[in-house]
Order: sequence, then structure tokens, then C-alpha cells
Amino acid sequence: MLELSIRKSLGDFALDVAWASEGEVVCLFGASGSGKSLTLQCLAGLTRPDAGTITVAGRCLFDHERGINVRPQERHLGYVFQGYALFPHLTVEANIAFGLFDRPASERRRRAGELIEQLGLGPAATLKPGQLSGGQQQRVALARAIAPEPALLLLDEPFSALDAPLRRQLREEVGAIIRRYAKATVIVTHDLAEAFQLADRIVIYDRGRVVQTALRDDIIAAPASEHVARLLGFRNVLRGRVQAVDADLVSLEWHGQILTAPIPPSTGPLSAGQEVTFFVRPEHIRFVPKDRPPRRDGRMNRLRASIVDRADLGASYSLRLAVEGPDRATAELLEVDVPRLVYQLLGLNRDPHWEIAIQPSAIQLVSGASSRKA
Amino acid sequence: MTIDWFPLSLSLRVAFLATVLTVATGLPLAWLLARRQFPGREILETAVVLPLVLPPTVLGYYLLVVISRRGPLGHFLEGLGIELAFTWRAAVLAAWVGAYGMFVKAAQGGLETVDARLEQAARTLGRSEWSVFWLVTLPLAWRSVLAGSIISFCRSLGDFGITLMVAGSIPHVTQTMPLAIYDAVQANRLADANVMSLVIVGLVSLLLLGVSRLARLRA
Repeated sequence: MLELSIRKSLGDFALDVAWASEGEVVCLFGASGSGKSLTLQCLAGLTRPDAGTITVAGRCLFDHERGINVRPQERHLGYVFQGYALFPHLTVEANIAFGLFDRPASERRRRAGELIEQLGLGPAATLKPGQLSGGQQQRVALARAIAPEPALLLLDEPFSALDAPLRRQLREEVGAIIRRYAKATVIVTHDLAEAFQLADRIVIYDRGRVVQTALRDDIIAAPASEHVARLLGFRNVLRGRVQAVDADLVSLEWHGQILTAPIPPSTGPLSAGQEVTFFVRPEHIRFVPKDRPPRRDGRMNRLRASIVDRADLGASYSLRLAVEGPDRATAELLEVDVPRLVYQLLGLNRDPHWEIAIQPSAIQLVSGASSRKA
Repeated sequence: MTIDWFPLSLSLRVAFLATVLTVATGLPLAWLLARRQFPGREILETAVVLPLVLPPTVLGYYLLVVISRRGPLGHFLEGLGIELAFTWRAAVLAAWVGAYGMFVKAAQGGLETVDARLEQAARTLGRSEWSVFWLVTLPLAWRSVLAGSIISFCRSLGDFGITLMVAGSIPHVTQTMPLAIYDAVQANRLADANVMSLVIVGLVSLLLLGVSRLARLRA
């Protein structure tokens, strides 16, 4: 439905990306300055790529070699700008009807009125954008882009202009709107929660390149590389060595310890001695209470560690643990998140030395683990 | 004492026509300078401001060269039966030359403050460049454009040097207010000069008051 392969140089920044979508909601995720918005501008025809092709709904919008560059006016794409770019001198109704100029007046009124009503903008219809709340402005921007029934809807950082508490609420609202009115959508965001909440497919950008394109669920379960895992904000991304493989479990040697972990289906064959990357989710590391005899569970990974740093985040504590190696000289750091209540019940503030337990399922091998070149 | 009001009425007519001409020819250039990158842009920008600092006699001289019967424009229009030099039309052109740069700079400044993303939004909604200008850019920059027009009108009302060079100071034909004041002083009719000067000061003060009102409206 959407196929894009473009190159564009701007000063010393170079964008070189290729990805495709089948008409679902795609999130371009990456740090600011990684080329996501530039891609959106190229899609909309607001910036001309240096080379490549763009095809939307079977229609070629840009082809450098064939000299095709359809003007933004004729691309029929809906664009929701960062900060919305509503026309400040026009009413809500006139903003929404702005792209309907080629329809008869009655049809124009009907379509604008329909969107105003369905998006709950009725009381604001005759107001100017400056008189609206952030959430209302966002809905007007969406309605304006959706009104002409575009083949593709583009949203550039749709929540960046809003305060944090509003964002969560509006994410759901925007998600519902785009699923109701727009078939294919591309959303640019640097917020992982946004990407996971809204996307069917995630395209991960890093410094002008695409490092992974995958369905949302696949990307969480199997980041393509250590690099992607780090970009996704996964903590405790670690490296170890395969010691033994036993059916669907693998024993990893890590820092003098042996950890048992499941082998994800997407991982290729593992052999002893191979170096692999894995990560441990910080919320899955548990402290073993001192006053309770440890339950014997052969598969549970147990390690001795000491708390070296603690950050009070209000509802929870983020702790840094030094895991003691066999020689006791070196220590590897692990991050652990502990709810405040658990922190107090265990008395973690009183004693730095603890035994920790990590379930095998909390250890996740990164597929293509050795793909990252040193 | 009877004051001849012809110079005032001529000045108002000349200034009005010159302002219309200035806006009509200046707006496209202001837009071009505010919105487009092209080779020779800086040279053009300098050329627009140049008349503001050149001696009026120099401007008048070159304008005369162009519009006199032997000049390219004058020669062409003479063929159509239109005479330029030393007519009221020359006074309009003189005022236009003096005001053009001021207007273009004011309008360009206003157009540049319009968020380019608003224009891009209009484009993605299918609107032509022409519509984008009339429906988005101009409605958001109209205060600066109007302020520039008023300043141009004031400048046109007060032009002396260029008008004298190309239109002369023919009483009841091309003698505008500033020229009439000069004449009155030369002839020691100081009372006349006084009244005419006060009229000009009053008129221009009112107009400038309007401009500062406009500037405050924006905030």
C-alpha cells in the first residue's frame, strides 16, 4: 500500500531509508534528529528527496529516475503538523472545511458538520484556534486532515504540544479517531509508549537509517539487535556466552554465573561458546527475603548482589545492583525496579547485600545476537 | 488671503494612484523575497532599497531618461498617444519610485512572520499557490501590508526631488503640495506656506497614528 525508498542529504545529515506498510498504522520511532519528520515531509511532497521512489496506494508520487514529483496539492495525503498549524484567522468550521473547496457548498457543510459533531467539537465550531484547549486543537487538526478523505494520514509528533497528563488520555482518543476514519496512517514519534499504544507496525529510525521494521508485537518480543534493544530503552542489555543448549533452554555463562534462559523461536541455532546478547527486564528481578527459607527451584537463576545506588521515583525505586563475580574483584551492574511497598516490606534500605532471583522467562535473548559488529 | 487648494487635491490624487501602483507591483516582489530562494536574490534586495538612500535628483534624472520622449518607455507610450514627462502621470511615477522600496520592505517583513507551515498545511489540503497566498498568507500579514501602504502614501504625499525632476512644477498641472510650499516660500508668501505645511503635518500625523494603532492591534 505504501512503499518508500528515499535518500536525502541536508548539510551533514544523510537520510537513507526504505520501508513499506500494508495500510495499517505505522509508527516511525526514533530519537529527535533521526530523520522521521523529514521522511514525512518527503512523503507529503513538502521536501524533495535526492533520490528514490515513493508509492502510495498504487500511485507513484515520487520517482527520481523517471522525473516524477507530484505536487503536495495533488498527493491527497492528510498531514497533521507538529503543533497542528491550524489557521489562526479561521474558525474551527472553516479550518475543517479548508480542504473541501472542490466540493459543492452543501456537501462541504455536510462533511464539516459531520466531523465537528462526531469529534465533539460542536460548541467550538465558531471559535478561532487560539480560543481552544490543546486537546480540541488536536481534534481540529485531525478533522481538517481527515475531511477530504486522504489516501494516507500523516501525523508528526501529534502529542508534543500537550502536557504529560493529557497525553495518555489523548493517545486513546487519537487512536480511536485514526482507526475510525483513516485507513493507512504514519505517525512520527520519539515516545516509545506512544508507538506501542498506537502502532500496528513500528519502523525504528536511528541517525537517518532504519534499523528494524516489524509488527509491534514482534519488536517487543524480538528486537533485531542489541542496538535496537538499546534504542527501545531496554535496560540490562548484557552479553554472555552459550555454555550448553538443552531442548528449549540455554545455559548462559555471564560474568562467572550460569543463567538459564528460554530460546526464542526466532533465534537461529546456538552452539556452545557462541557470544550472545540478552536482556533482563528490570521489573522481573526479585529479591529473596532473608527471613524465609529459599524455595528450591532448579530453574530459577539465583545471584548474590549488593545495592550500590538507589533512586526514589515516588511510586517505585530504581536500584543499581553490583553482581558479585567469582573473583569478587569485578562487579557487573544490573538495574532493578522495585515497587515502593516491596522496598519497605523487605527492608531494602537497611542492608545492601541480597540474594536475587531471576526467572528464566525474564531473560530474553536478542535475535541475531551476534549481528552487531564490534 | 486665498489659498489655492489645487496642489493639495493633486497631491492626494497622485499619492493615491502611486500607492495603488506601489501595492500592485510591490506585493509580488515582497512575496518573492519573503518566500523564495533564487540566484541574484541579494542583488535584487539591495536594488529595492537603493532608492531610499540615493539622492532624489539622481533618481529623478534616471526616471526622466526612461520616460522622456527619447527614453524607452516614453518613446513606446508616445506611439500610443500617451505623454509621460512633465504631466501628472510623471508625478505618480516619481512618487512610486520613492515609495516602492519602503513598501516592499514593510510587506516582506510581514509576510516573513507568517508561519510557513500554515502555507504547507494549505498545500497538503489541495490548495493552489494562488489560494494559499490569498487565503492564508495575506490574511495573516495584512496589518504589515496595510501599514506599508499607509507609509507609502505618506512618502508619496511628500515627494519633492523626484517629482521636480520628471514632472516639473507647473502650476495647476503638476505642482503638488511640497512644490507649492517651496514656491510660496520663494515668493515670500509665508502665510500660504504655513497653512499648507500645517495641512501636510496634520494629515501625515493622522495617518501615522493609524499605523501605530495597527502595530498595537497585532499584539
